[in-house]
Amino acid sequence: MKQDTRWVRLSSIIVALFIVLPLLWMLITSFKSPSQVGITPPPWLPHPFTWVNYRMSFTYFGFQRYFLNSVIVAVSSTLAVLLLGTGAGYALARTPVRGRMALMVGLLVISVFPEIAVISPLYLLMRLLGWLDTYQGLIVPYTAFNLPFSIWILRNYFLSIPREMEEVAQIDGASPFRTVVSVILPQSTPGLFTAAVFTFTATWTEFLMALTIDSSTPFRTIPVGIALFGAEFTVPYGNIFAASVISIVPIALMVLIFRNAIVSGLTQGAVKG
Amino acid sequence: MTKPIGIVVCGAGLLAIISGCGPGVAPGPAPSKKPAAVHKTKAKKAAFVTIDWAASPITQTGTRQHMISAFEKAHPGIRVKLTTMSTNTDTTRAELTTEIEGGSKTPDVYMGDVIWPAQFGHSGLAVPLSDHLPKSFFSRFAPGLAAGASYHGKVYGAPFFMDAGLLYYRKDLLTKASLPVPKTWQQLVSDSKALEAKHLVKYGYVWEGAAYEGLTCVLMEFLGDQGAKVLNAAGNKVLLNSSASDKAVSFMRSLITSGVSPQAVTTYQEPDAMNAFDAGDAAFMRNWDYAWSNSQTKGTKVVGKVGVEPMPAFAGTTEPGYSCIGGWDLYVNPHSAHLAQDLTFVEWMTGAAGQKLLADKYSEIPTNAAVQKNPAVKKLNPVLSIVPKLRLIARPSGTPIYPMISQALYQNVNAALTGQVSPKAAITRASQQILTDLKGHGL
Amino acid sequence: MTINHLTDRPKFSMQRRRAVTGLWFMAPGLLVVLAVTIFPILYSIYMGFNTISLTTHGFHFHWNGLGNYRLLLSSSLFRYAIVFTLVYALVTVLVELVLGMMTALVLQRMAWGRPALLALLLLPWSLITVISAEMWGYIYNGVYGALDAILLEFGIIHKPIVWLGFAKLAIASTMFADVWKTMPFVAILLLAGLEMVPVDVIEAAHMDGASNWHVFWRIILPLIRPTMSLAILFRVLQAFGLFDLPFVLTGGGPGTATESIAVLGYQVMFQDLNFGPGAAVASSTTVVVLIIALAFLWVFRGMAEEGVA
Repeated sequence: MKQDTRWVRLSSIIVALFIVLPLLWMLITSFKSPSQVGITPPPWLPHPFTWVNYRMSFTYFGFQRYFLNSVIVAVSSTLAVLLLGTGAGYALARTPVRGRMALMVGLLVISVFPEIAVISPLYLLMRLLGWLDTYQGLIVPYTAFNLPFSIWILRNYFLSIPREMEEVAQIDGASPFRTVVSVILPQSTPGLFTAAVFTFTATWTEFLMALTIDSSTPFRTIPVGIALFGAEFTVPYGNIFAASVISIVPIALMVLIFRNAIVSGLTQGAVKG
Repeated sequence: MTKPIGIVVCGAGLLAIISGCGPGVAPGPAPSKKPAAVHKTKAKKAAFVTIDWAASPITQTGTRQHMISAFEKAHPGIRVKLTTMSTNTDTTRAELTTEIEGGSKTPDVYMGDVIWPAQFGHSGLAVPLSDHLPKSFFSRFAPGLAAGASYHGKVYGAPFFMDAGLLYYRKDLLTKASLPVPKTWQQLVSDSKALEAKHLVKYGYVWEGAAYEGLTCVLMEFLGDQGAKVLNAAGNKVLLNSSASDKAVSFMRSLITSGVSPQAVTTYQEPDAMNAFDAGDAAFMRNWDYAWSNSQTKGTKVVGKVGVEPMPAFAGTTEPGYSCIGGWDLYVNPHSAHLAQDLTFVEWMTGAAGQKLLADKYSEIPTNAAVQKNPAVKKLNPVLSIVPKLRLIARPSGTPIYPMISQALYQNVNAALTGQVSPKAAITRASQQILTDLKGHGL
Repeated sequence: MTINHLTDRPKFSMQRRRAVTGLWFMAPGLLVVLAVTIFPILYSIYMGFNTISLTTHGFHFHWNGLGNYRLLLSSSLFRYAIVFTLVYALVTVLVELVLGMMTALVLQRMAWGRPALLALLLLPWSLITVISAEMWGYIYNGVYGALDAILLEFGIIHKPIVWLGFAKLAIASTMFADVWKTMPFVAILLLAGLEMVPVDVIEAAHMDGASNWHVFWRIILPLIRPTMSLAILFRVLQAFGLFDLPFVLTGGGPGTATESIAVLGYQVMFQDLNFGPGAAVASSTTVVVLIIALAFLWVFRGMAEEGVA
């Protein structure tokens, strides 16, 4: 029911502006020289236009290290979530599990549990394992916290796949593992993409655990790095925004590419349930 | 036997070349011949100990590394490994606390806020330096600093460098309007109003009024100027609820209502005040000593137009007014395996050589009294020249629950500054909260 | 007629084999979740019942029963934080739901540019909250903020407004920044729901002479109720964990106006090093979250059965 009336067009423009303007302002500011950042009224365009904030983010604040850390942590957690989530999701979709409903609801609640409720024991646990200021110190909790939602999504996606093909494979003597790999997975790419995008985004943006567990410079992820930019008494907005713009690029690209997967994944997974 | 890694690695001949273990380690014979013996002699020859120093970045880059090099030159037997901590004080505190409480031997020495001694001393997270160093050691510090680093009669931190609240002003504007540099708060208010009336500047006075630790510092200055106190000397009685306190907070609020300070100071931290001042929007600013070099940076609108003086006092009281003490101390980890070396390091860093370097090259305010008064140091910049004149006031950090006290102060006073509650109500509420905290019933 | 029904006995043994397989498939994931989420949650609750003193040789636990919780209930800071966080969660979610629904309806009717708008909507959702907080802090700034500059330029205000300097204004500003970031996600979720409403049902209703309004309230809304409940549950629980935004944007100020439970808990634990009461604050979120989740399940029993079984 596409009916592009005038008010639809108008509203869509308003929505777009609402979303874009703040981001645009951040982009513009990232190209201003430090002395222009605090002027009243703020100049609407950078003049002179400068890359100095971008250069400084790398040379002075060592942003590349934070970026690398974020990539390592987010990618590893995402892969781990997909691996474990596929197994659990398949089991919940296809095998008789007692108390499945309670389990599913429990998982859903865990996936939105406030981090503050676990942060101090988690910190102690990581210290006990000697995992403070290590990658696994973040990858493991990130995996655990994002797994429930992915299990939920994947399980619901697997349910939407017709059973017949699987059963044929089983009758042919394929092991459950083979069945999952050769029958289920090829048909579940949208579901996998959705789970991957959600996990990646959640881990890419997470702050409290990263701040508590990996706050030393060599292991800081982007959110912690940016929050701790500057010295004791300075907030270098220009540099912060330059680094922010860089950190948006990969995730924006991913979101653009997997846009349909996200939306259809939501339709198929979370919603249809 | 707990040998530091440095010795083992450097003692192993070939490895020494690869890892570049510096002077004092001649590449010895092939270690495969008589490993144990070689190891022993090498260790003797290359007898240096590596200590780990955890410190947040100091205002200017390279400060810490430069000081380490100078120290290592003076004490070839000790190597210092720098661990960079977070620029966020709370993060640093949490990290150090959990590390030391967990029994970690490193860092051996750490740089910590001047408001930590009670909290850290109380929990056994720092070595009581006064148990290991003679009384005479502490006389090197400017008056009041060692006392500020004490808890229950023991000194836990060696004052390393100091921050102090200062009044910055625009020389050019005052000259243009032929106004004197304010020595009193009343003068500052009338100067500001005159400058604003002549449209020479947008705001009179900018300072730090956001709900955070910095507001506690500003408040302490005004309380001191009014003769008000937060706690008694023993730190177990609340004295805050007084008409003097009420006057102090009412004056702060009046700066905003009279338009001398912008409404926005209630959200200001140091960078915001600095920004308004650098942009030429304010005639006066309260900020720490770092602001001096900042206002001298090319590109700001105020280069060459800035003067600095001690804080004003209320008319009819002793001048100058109080400056809140900030800054950093050096603490020693109780689990450190190298106490002697740690103390040598602390001794050097707070001694004449270290302190002079800190002032000379990096314009930090030295804590060493002799260096502070040294004419050559005083000549370095206007801030260092007025340091001996300052009247200092410390925050009530002599109790382990100081963070809670500070929260009660800045949260309630900030609410009064924004007009949510009256100054009197804010003082009453803060007092009640602190009382509850002292009794151990607070959150 | 599925293959299952060919014989009966193999089916039985197959059922059992499948159950075992299922366990094996689930075990690794569930173990990780158990170790890293459930265990800390329970341990945090245990910590909340103790007085924890910090010493040179580690934490010392002393059983304190409900002492810390009594402390919380008598603390005005805690009471405010609980009320603030709940109100904050409910208001932001309500606003998001209304705006999100409007946006979803617009998206559904767009013939041109829909993929582009969808992509735009995903941007705030994928933005690091710390960055979004820094961005809004810069926009709201009472001196050089863009928001004041625009309003002044258009003559809407005559004096800069200090957005984060007054309790109510700061709360509203924080909520606005939150809505900006999360409304798009809600919109997409709702769009997904809208897309599943069969077109013929709506057309039939229109044929019967029902108004747009009537169709929306009587036909579309009931059909997407499961989606909406899920979105609400999700967002309310998420909003209850509010930390990053006020931590960076307002630091909990002015006064304690924007101090959420999580910010308070962080402060008590990591500034005051008061781990017992801190754990109690943290665990109180567990309790509230469980209550909210159970309440939802109870209200939307039907949905849960459809959705989960």
